[in-house]
Amino acid sequence: MTSAQNAGARKWITLFVVAVAVICALKLTGAINSTTGFILLAAAMILLVPFQRALARSRSGCASEASVRYTRRIAISSLLYVLGLGVAITLDRRMELSGALALVIALLPVLPIFGMIWAMARYIIEEQDEFLRHRAIMASLIGLAAVLGIASFWGFLEQFRLVPHAYGWWALPIWAIAMGLAQAILSWRDRREASE
Amino acid sequence: MNNRLKVLRAEHDWSQQDLAERLGVSRQSVNAIEKGRYDPSLPLAFRIADVFELAIEAIFMRDSKGDEAG
Repeated sequence: MTSAQNAGARKWITLFVVAVAVICALKLTGAINSTTGFILLAAAMILLVPFQRALARSRSGCASEASVRYTRRIAISSLLYVLGLGVAITLDRRMELSGALALVIALLPVLPIFGMIWAMARYIIEEQDEFLRHRAIMASLIGLAAVLGIASFWGFLEQFRLVPHAYGWWALPIWAIAMGLAQAILSWRDRREASE
Repeated sequence: MNNRLKVLRAEHDWSQQDLAERLGVSRQSVNAIEKGRYDPSLPLAFRIADVFELAIEAIFMRDSKGDEAG
């Protein structure tokens, strides 16, 4: 990947992170309500499309086309997740949901989460480079360790009424964040060693 | 496991990227194997041996300790 190609992908992901940060700041300060926040977040996720394309261009000819497909699948799942979550929360606040309808509404953000898990599984299956596959598996195991550790720790704190209740859906964000951090650290270590 | 990948690469005047392209893997893979941080699978080890036209044991050596127990 050349520095110019790198810069293209970096520009879009930086724009996305800045947009999400601004939307979060607006929501936290009360400048916008939840519905507006979700709409803006869904709009911001469109920035992941040019990011994914820039990434694909920069990696063309490189060994890992599987990672480009993975990024595209995760971007689509994330967009559907934000939209599903927005619709579910908005309907939950405006209607008395129960029974089968509540189940259907609850599935709106859940199905894209299954999509993310499927995307990760496909990446591990499709990645032809055994070292990159090994690194992805190690990162996902670190994510799993974070989920197990934090959930167990939090559960006992909750048992003794030291912390408020946390919903089970936190499992995926904790796993994804820990996995992403692990991937970033492992990639950085590889790059540093390669330049030595 | 130790290996002579860096020496062999230098003898052929190949960069890590050159070797990676010949093996059909990423440059990161070559780097990790070269540094001894990742042991390649048997099929990849055979591909490496084929590229250098050497036997596997002429490229990869067991560690002085640990591997000898088996």
